[in-house]
Amino acid sequence: MASVKLTGVKKIYDNKVVAVHDFDLDIHDKEFVVFVGPSGCGKSTTLRMIAGLEDISEGTVEIDGEVVNDLQPKDRGIAMVFQNYALYPHMSVYDNIAFSLRLKKVPEDVVYEKVTNAAEVLGITDYLMRKPRALSGGQRQRVAIGRAMVRDSKVFLMDEPLSNLDAKLRNQMRAEIILLRQKLDTTFIYVTHDQTEAMTLGDRIVIMKDGFIMQVGTPTEVFEMPHNLFVAEFIGAPKMNIVKTNLLLENGKYYVTPFGAKIPVEGEKGRMLAEKNVQPQEILLGVRPEHIVLSEGGEHAIPCSLVVNEMMGSELHLHVDTADGSRLIVRIPTIDLDSAGRSELVAGHDLHITFEGKAMHFFDPGTEKNLLV
Amino acid sequence: MNEKRHMGLRTLNRISNTTIYILLIIISIIWLLPFIFIVLQSFRVESTYQVGYVIPHEWGWQNYINLWNSDFKRWYLNTFIIALAAAVFITIIQLCMSYTLSRFRFKLRGPLMRFMLILGMFPGMLTMIILYRVLSDLGLTQANAVPGLILVSVASSGMGYYVSKGFFDTIPKSLDEAARVDGATRFQVLYKIILPLAKPIVIYTILTAFMGPWGDFVFARYVAFGTSSGYNVAVGMYSWLTNDQIARMYTTFCAGGVIVAVPVTILFLCLQKYYVEGVTGGAVKG
Repeated sequence: MASVKLTGVKKIYDNKVVAVHDFDLDIHDKEFVVFVGPSGCGKSTTLRMIAGLEDISEGTVEIDGEVVNDLQPKDRGIAMVFQNYALYPHMSVYDNIAFSLRLKKVPEDVVYEKVTNAAEVLGITDYLMRKPRALSGGQRQRVAIGRAMVRDSKVFLMDEPLSNLDAKLRNQMRAEIILLRQKLDTTFIYVTHDQTEAMTLGDRIVIMKDGFIMQVGTPTEVFEMPHNLFVAEFIGAPKMNIVKTNLLLENGKYYVTPFGAKIPVEGEKGRMLAEKNVQPQEILLGVRPEHIVLSEGGEHAIPCSLVVNEMMGSELHLHVDTADGSRLIVRIPTIDLDSAGRSELVAGHDLHITFEGKAMHFFDPGTEKNLLV
Repeated sequence: MNEKRHMGLRTLNRISNTTIYILLIIISIIWLLPFIFIVLQSFRVESTYQVGYVIPHEWGWQNYINLWNSDFKRWYLNTFIIALAAAVFITIIQLCMSYTLSRFRFKLRGPLMRFMLILGMFPGMLTMIILYRVLSDLGLTQANAVPGLILVSVASSGMGYYVSKGFFDTIPKSLDEAARVDGATRFQVLYKIILPLAKPIVIYTILTAFMGPWGDFVFARYVAFGTSSGYNVAVGMYSWLTNDQIARMYTTFCAGGVIVAVPVTILFLCLQKYYVEGVTGGAVKG
């Protein structure tokens, strides 16, 4: 159990490519922090710098108050789970898990106890004598986690541990990681490119792009108040719709005018615009698919035509084109439509939609920053 | 229609397989003939000179007894010491070199590898005269040929890194990293993780390292020139083929050939599974 502190951490490769820029982050004891971002954003590199598998070009990494920049991975008090499991193919599951303990010359009876305990927690007791190649993907990942568990480390690092699993197994293992976290009660740093994993697992999420931190916050914070356009589009599935439009101020009330409609900004968002004294201007308006509703017409309504209707079970994802050809995605709970309404929704069908005024996001077209932050 | 075509394909397949097998059998017989010939000659006791027939009229162990009573023991021991020492040192050096080039990234790594590749393209013969001078200055020729030959075999062994480096490259780096996080030093990573996984290539390296000096003739003759106690088997036995010796020693020479082939054959038969895996390993291991 320990805190991890990164101060001005930078990674510059020999070819002068900067993979991570001035990374500052304070990870508290027993916190579960997720680094998330698209490929090449520097999330794995940062994790590997914490692990000691990459040199740190600039800045410091502290674990439990001690600067570990020059320590070997084994001396940092960390355990790590790799994306491809990295099990030793020539050793049995038991030997894989026992490897680190034997290197430390732990007595064999203690090794036995620890390995069998870990195996029991992870439900792999029956496979202890098997070689990794005789295991399924999920079982292999469990062994990899078991190998990290027995080290009693201060910080648990996971580098895309679920990426190689199929969707169903991924959901199952995600739940198991949450349970494991409760059992181990230690500091976790988890890297993923999957925003769902980030949202469900993390106490805090670090969203990265091109080596820069875009935002750090709780899942709710980053979802409800994305600091910039990148975060807004990255978090949430399907991704947020972005529309270039104008923000108007009439009689102390804010309006947006997407596609010729005039929609009032309501609730907290309206209040916040007023508090920040945001002036009427051209903006990038962000609306999540679940905050677009079907409408009967009128001043608030945007006419559009349905292009694709994806039936997801509990909800429909409607891809619609507006008059100027912009594509929007609308998410409608299936339960909100009767069967007649549902059968109408075929490609080519004309319909009206409107945006919910209290759930809009406003970004500066130049800086792409959230106007309310 | 389909069935007919299927039958046609099967017949074609059978014909081509049969042809290939017959060809291979013929090649094997041609290839084996000299070996069978030498073995048969080594048991011929009615005369020691070359004769116009293959199957001996009288069989016996006399040629092997002659071997035992000659300098052959010394030469055999010399060769064995050189080959064994070369196998041990070359294997260690070459595997360490390959691991380093496969796993470490350092300045001038690329140029160094290319340099060694180009250097390796020059025939070893080019260095013979200067190497002889160096060995001679160090006192490692003639009677001291054994350490001299070990030195020559081992000295440039790091340059033969390609095959094993290629194999190491196919072992995921994350295994090294996992082991390092688990507490292993670089050396422990090499011998606890990488080498057990690279068993075929280790055996391939040992075998090739052993075979080189075991069959060496040109350089061994040069270094041990004129001093029987420094000869290896190839050089020693060659001295029996001179005009004045051959009539007396021809069948003994054949017996020596058999004895020289025995350990290598046994080694190969035991390890051939790994040897083939090693040669093809880098290419097919995913």
